[in-house]
Amino acid sequence: MLLEAQNVAKAFGNFWAVGGADLAVAEGEIVGLIGPNGAGKSTFFNCLAGDTLPTSGRILFNGVDVTHASSEAHARLGIGRTFQVPTTFEDMSVLDNVMVGAFLRHPHRNDAREHARRIVEMSGLRPDQPGRSLGTPGRKRLGIARVLATEPRLLLLDESLAGLTPGELREAIALVRRIHESGVTIVIVEHIMEVIMTLTRRVLVFNQGRVIASGTPEQVVRDAAVIEAYLGRGAQRHSRERKNL
Amino acid sequence: MKYLLSARVGVCLLAALLLLFPLVFSDPFYQDIAVAFTLAAISASAWNIVGGYAGQVSVGHSMFFGLGAYAPLLFYTLFGWPPLVGIPIGILLSIALAGLIGLPTLRLSGHYFSMATIAVAELIRIFFGTWALVGGAIGLQGPAVARGWWDLTFRSDLPYYYIFLAVLGLLLFVTYEVQRRRFGYYLRAIKASERAARSLGVPVRLTKLKALALSATFTSAAGSLYAIKTGFIDPDSGFGILVSVQMLIVAALGGAGTLFGPLVGALILVPLQTAANTWFGGSGSGLTFILYGGIIVLIARFEPGGLFDFWRRLSPLIRRRVHAA
Repeated sequence: MLLEAQNVAKAFGNFWAVGGADLAVAEGEIVGLIGPNGAGKSTFFNCLAGDTLPTSGRILFNGVDVTHASSEAHARLGIGRTFQVPTTFEDMSVLDNVMVGAFLRHPHRNDAREHARRIVEMSGLRPDQPGRSLGTPGRKRLGIARVLATEPRLLLLDESLAGLTPGELREAIALVRRIHESGVTIVIVEHIMEVIMTLTRRVLVFNQGRVIASGTPEQVVRDAAVIEAYLGRGAQRHSRERKNL
Repeated sequence: MKYLLSARVGVCLLAALLLLFPLVFSDPFYQDIAVAFTLAAISASAWNIVGGYAGQVSVGHSMFFGLGAYAPLLFYTLFGWPPLVGIPIGILLSIALAGLIGLPTLRLSGHYFSMATIAVAELIRIFFGTWALVGGAIGLQGPAVARGWWDLTFRSDLPYYYIFLAVLGLLLFVTYEVQRRRFGYYLRAIKASERAARSLGVPVRLTKLKALALSATFTSAAGSLYAIKTGFIDPDSGFGILVSVQMLIVAALGGAGTLFGPLVGALILVPLQTAANTWFGGSGSGLTFILYGGIIVLIARFEPGGLFDFWRRLSPLIRRRVHAA
């Protein structure tokens, strides 16, 4: 397994945001994490990325225990992440933004620039455009391009495709697919079911800090616990009754 | 290419102007202003590395300036060593202090970091004011009469001006190299978002610490040059909060986080200060505070990016107008 999370839990005071979650991701997979707002998936995701220290449990990456490793160490090991709210380096151009990531494996300026240029080209952005002038889709793309420049083996995408128009969404899905085809394993947190249904083969559903279902996207959308988590108790019976009318 | 060429021409013109200024304006009054300008530019450019590029707004940089200022005069007073020898000792002490205070304070961010640096600088100022070895509140004096060139005690301001200018040139070259390299990219990324920088593998704390040490090196050198030129140092002129605030304001006025911003700031503020002192004489000693306060308000309200940023936005408009005409 490339990534293994074993019984990971995170408490904020008396509140357990994640109450013991397991995840195993094989090299080359795309795994989706879904769940209603406040389900704990972002906290779990931050634990995987080294941004939040779990209260208990273990996280292994390629057999190495990274539970207590910093997010810098995660990046060095080959775990890259994007942010739900894009964190563009506003005063830098698109190319300079991506170069910050490229410097991780290419310490010399010219090498980093070349590497960054290739990635910017692949992501369909203009290298000389100032970071501050980008709109939401551009910022999301830049977030992905920047982390790609660190040459990750595992990419953690945190709602990177949210807030896009249908056209932008199709382009973004194609970009993620190209990244996956280049050999990068992906874990994706997403609310948009189109993304989950199109990109992933396996989905984990979070609710109240726990994994309540897992399987193929088709299986989980029919799962009674999942329907209840999203729509409330009785929703399944109600929809059956409506169908019978 | 065209931009690069015009930038090079601009730098050459500026260098020529700075080299020739005291020769053209040979009156000691103007030479004194020129020396004050170079000193303010060195201090602000040194502050700029950590405060401008890395966005860690230190309001206690006088701690390094003061250490640098005391070292040459202390070793002269104690052992009769030429003040020149004290410069590297001051730098080493400042780097050590940067490491010592940087480790805990650089974990803080925003206002908390600024407040911590003020506290440390004030503590050192009070400590030096009561420490007999460094002359307590009275301070220390340098050699009254030069024993040789190595005492760096000159009658004219001219040699000081060129020594200071050489240090400023070196500092600008170092800053230019920093902003081109990985280190410079990392500093700017940290300024924008530490969390995002960290996620890209940027060693945030180490980078900030390196920036603080580099900044402390040149701030200390500025302090040494000041003390050698003045031949006197006391806790207020070495570690006083006004010393830190001046560095910050000069850099912010010109444009923090830009190569030439501190130079532009010094070019405006130093003559302004001299003019205020000349017009109001001794009765205007508190005027400096009012001037600094006014500038802080104006920058914060109208141009947070400083005059350099203002020019960067204005120049394309002017160019367009010229083309249209």
